[in-house]
Amino acid sequence: MLEVRDLDVAYGAAPALWNVSLDVRRGELLCVVGPNGAGKTTLINTIAGLNRARGGRLSIDGIDLTRLAPHRFCGCGIAIVPEGRRLFTHMTVRENLELGSFVASARAYRQASLDGVLQLFPALNARLQSRAGELSGGQQQMVAIARALMARPKLLLLDEPSLGLSPAIVEDMFDAIRRINADGMTVMLVEQNVAMALDVSSRAYVLEEGRIVAEGEPRELAARPEIRRAYLGL
Amino acid sequence: MNARSLRVPIAIVVCASLLALMPRLGLPAFYDSLFYLAFHWIVLATSWNILSGYAGYFSFGHGAFFGVGLYTTATLSGKLDWPFLATLPLAAAVPALLGVALGAVVFRVHRVRGELFALLTLAVTFVIATIVLNTRIDGGPGIYLNAVPVPAIGPTQSSTFFLLALAAATATMLIAWAVYVSKLGLGLFAIHDDEDAAEVMGVPTYGYKLAAFAISCALAGLAGGIHALFISYVTAGEVFSITVPLTVVLMSVLGGTRHWAGPAIGATAITALLYFSTAGDHAVLGKAAVGAILVAAILFMPEGILERVQRALRKRSARGPATTRAPAETSLASEPAAPAAAEVLVRPDDVLLRARNLGKSFSGLRALQGVDVDVRAGEILGLIGPNGSGKSTFINVVSGHYAATTGDVVLDGRKLTGLPAHRIARAGVARTYQIPRPFRHLSVRDNVAVTALFGHARVRTRAQADAEAMKWLAFAGLEAKADAHPDDLNLHQRKFLELARALASRPRLVLLDEVLCGLTPTEMNDAVALIRRIRDQGATIVFVEHVMHAVLALTDRIVVFNQGELLAQGRAEQVMREPAVLTAYLGRAHA
Amino acid sequence: MTWPSLTLLSQSILSGIFVGSLYGLLGLGLGLSWGLLRLINLAHFAFAFLAAYLCYQLASGGRMDPLLTLVIIVPAFFALGAALHWLMTRFALTPFNSLLLTFGVTGIVEALIQTIWTADFRRLESHYAHEKFRIGALFVPVPELITLVLAVALSLGVWAVLRYTDLGKALRAAAEDAPVAAAFGVDQRMHGIVLAGTCSALAAVAGVCLALTFTLAPSQIYAWIGVVFAAVMIGGLGSALGPLLGGVLIGVSEAITMAVTAPSWAPIVSFTLLILILLFRPGKA
Repeated sequence: MLEVRDLDVAYGAAPALWNVSLDVRRGELLCVVGPNGAGKTTLINTIAGLNRARGGRLSIDGIDLTRLAPHRFCGCGIAIVPEGRRLFTHMTVRENLELGSFVASARAYRQASLDGVLQLFPALNARLQSRAGELSGGQQQMVAIARALMARPKLLLLDEPSLGLSPAIVEDMFDAIRRINADGMTVMLVEQNVAMALDVSSRAYVLEEGRIVAEGEPRELAARPEIRRAYLGL
Repeated sequence: MNARSLRVPIAIVVCASLLALMPRLGLPAFYDSLFYLAFHWIVLATSWNILSGYAGYFSFGHGAFFGVGLYTTATLSGKLDWPFLATLPLAAAVPALLGVALGAVVFRVHRVRGELFALLTLAVTFVIATIVLNTRIDGGPGIYLNAVPVPAIGPTQSSTFFLLALAAATATMLIAWAVYVSKLGLGLFAIHDDEDAAEVMGVPTYGYKLAAFAISCALAGLAGGIHALFISYVTAGEVFSITVPLTVVLMSVLGGTRHWAGPAIGATAITALLYFSTAGDHAVLGKAAVGAILVAAILFMPEGILERVQRALRKRSARGPATTRAPAETSLASEPAAPAAAEVLVRPDDVLLRARNLGKSFSGLRALQGVDVDVRAGEILGLIGPNGSGKSTFINVVSGHYAATTGDVVLDGRKLTGLPAHRIARAGVARTYQIPRPFRHLSVRDNVAVTALFGHARVRTRAQADAEAMKWLAFAGLEAKADAHPDDLNLHQRKFLELARALASRPRLVLLDEVLCGLTPTEMNDAVALIRRIRDQGATIVFVEHVMHAVLALTDRIVVFNQGELLAQGRAEQVMREPAVLTAYLGRAHA
Repeated sequence: MTWPSLTLLSQSILSGIFVGSLYGLLGLGLGLSWGLLRLINLAHFAFAFLAAYLCYQLASGGRMDPLLTLVIIVPAFFALGAALHWLMTRFALTPFNSLLLTFGVTGIVEALIQTIWTADFRRLESHYAHEKFRIGALFVPVPELITLVLAVALSLGVWAVLRYTDLGKALRAAAEDAPVAAAFGVDQRMHGIVLAGTCSALAAVAGVCLALTFTLAPSQIYAWIGVVFAAVMIGGLGSALGPLLGGVLIGVSEAITMAVTAPSWAPIVSFTLLILILLFRPGKA
């Protein structure tokens, strides 16, 4: 469904991704793992349109995204849950969710989408009128995921969803992600928390220092010594 | 900026002396007045630039201090019959004191920078104007100075003003140049680029801003004092109008705010333009022209004429043979003589830094929750943990970037918590930033010179600082890039610049914040080698990292943080096998 | 300091409310631009005065009803504001540089006004100017009342748009985090141009009110800068109702000061308030 070919992305003068190629297949839960500084956020931001690629090709269902203006990506079916949530903290939770369905294609189904996400995260019902900045980390993460779902995307992107969250909340959150994927949503996530990520995904890529170094099924990857070395130095 | 060269001040004095001969030519008074205005604006614009251009605190209140100086002279000589020349020292002193009083309050408030500072100083102008207008200082009718005798300095009255203004302009230019090449100037420019980083590198930002403000206000007041007699009838409305603050901004921006001579160039250009347009019936057109020039300048030359010219000259000279040799080649092949070691020898049982119950909260969020950490002299201590665990916060608190909420940090018996960051730097703590924060508009050499001058090393003069800087740049393999600017460097070079900058202060403790992040494997090896050499010099290092093989290779001990708390400490290989650590990193113990 | 009679004090407060509403109307566009677009537009004042002079010209020379001139003036200034904004975004100006550039534009517009209408004072003589009615012991002049009504209506209108419409939410979101807003489909460039045009249109309305209630002179442009900035900062950047409340607060304080002491002390109120706000209000701007 999503095709990335030979992607070259730079941060200012510093190159961040070299010749990255990957595929996201419809309905799967794909994860990209790698150490800090590997370029995971750069990769997912480029797919979401937040970064411009210097070279290579990006397309979804045949639509070429490489040269598209950032605000058009959402209309093509891509929604992102950014690193660190990046909610609109001065707006209420409800307004954040409504903004998620800003694109014309999602606006028509706003009420239905809202009902859907509130079923998924019932705890948000009580906090709809609160300002997003007042919520705890875990609640903010729920809002961020819900906001992305309001856009009725074809592909849901999650950037380090476990960042800054306590282990218990991380478990709940990954359960929710699993459920979202089970309902038919294609999900791609990048994570530093290798165990959780490999547990929940059907396929994984390993990104190190801006390059894809491995690909395969999670169980098979976790057994490989080079993965263990990269993360524990053992 | 070669501080030892006195060519510039000599040139200024020579020009001034030549100009002083002009009244003897017997030209019509029109020329005296034209030149008077040019000198007058040179003083105003150049003095404004000393705070606003050098340090970046753009003030819209220069008119207030000009006005206070003007009214000081007007009141003293017009109402109290003081001899005119005797009022001038006070015309300079009163605004300076006022500026210091204002600055003492405003510079303490962290948020008031940039456009807020501009607005605040504008508001101050109107407040002072209203007070002057409504109290006995003026009271409404203005002050007449026609009865005040003009001192006979020149052959005619208008030439006297010419000479007075020339003297003021000469003094102002000399002062501006002197500040520019001095330690104060370097500190001010560092503040301009990154005030928080400058403070952490040892620049006493509060004191320096006050000094620059005082100098700026004093010179503006002096110009005001002279101007009072020149116009001989003084009203609050005219004096405190918006003209002065906006014109000095325009002149300085046009000429270039980062150079001591920029405002003078802008002042001369604009005075000439305005005069030639008011000469005819085109006063209004003159105003429109000034507006149009400002618009064009902001759009196409926001850095000013001088900067454009300098950059063009620099590009031509930088196109020489200086290419980047990989530092690995230079450091391994030629082993440049490392500068003399710091006085600390390796004393593994001696505790250099002790943190007790150190905590930091940000409006309810507890980033650091009362940690106890000992750093032994001469060791390399690794600090690891997942994102958000408090590692960077720890470094920020120890270096003084943030104030601690709870607890204490003691360096070799001296308490650091509660000290302003620049004192902590002076005490011997240096740090690098995870995302490099060089002073963008300073050359690579000047970046390193800042810490040499203001840090623990206590180098005395700019010249010595430059020499020190070159030594440390060589140590880091960057000496070929000494005259380049940080934007011209790639990430790896910028990280090494951070290192050189940290080391130039000869610190006792170096805090490295993810210095390897973003580097290629080759560059990483260079960095690891460099860090080893730093320790061999006698410095103690605290080393925040994610790259595990580097942590294992370099550190003597490691400390693991998780969610703001200390999770484990000890030798790296042991700690990394502890179940609690595996859980924190991986979420679940992996067989 | 002689304490005035109750009637006099009430009349002063009422006129303070009226002039405060004009501060608020002027501040509405300025605050929106600063808060939502991060651009400080000093030319806002020059545009208001230009609109005032145009209204004066059309009403005196062209014999139009002053309020009817809004139909021509408002769209014209919308276009002008949009064009200026397009220019500023093309060059990616910082907030401070936008302050400087718009000051340059102010100089140009001031010179233009002076060329066409000279520096003489101009007073619009309309049939509104002499109408007033009484509420009890108080006089309510009609031009001032029109200003108050327009200020309140427009402030409430902008507030409603920002609060309840998708466009308003998109603007607020983009002001806080433009890249993420873009990731959800918000086209900041287009919105910015529309918003800038709206701010200029609001300045134009304020200009027409100015023409109705005050005597015009080119030098007067600068007299309003400090007071309106104070109103905006007190009320909060990017807020729709804030400048109006801030403006009325300042207007009433000034009026009381003037009634109790002397008129020339009035400026000190707003500027002192501005200084105090800048120093002590936490987390501003």
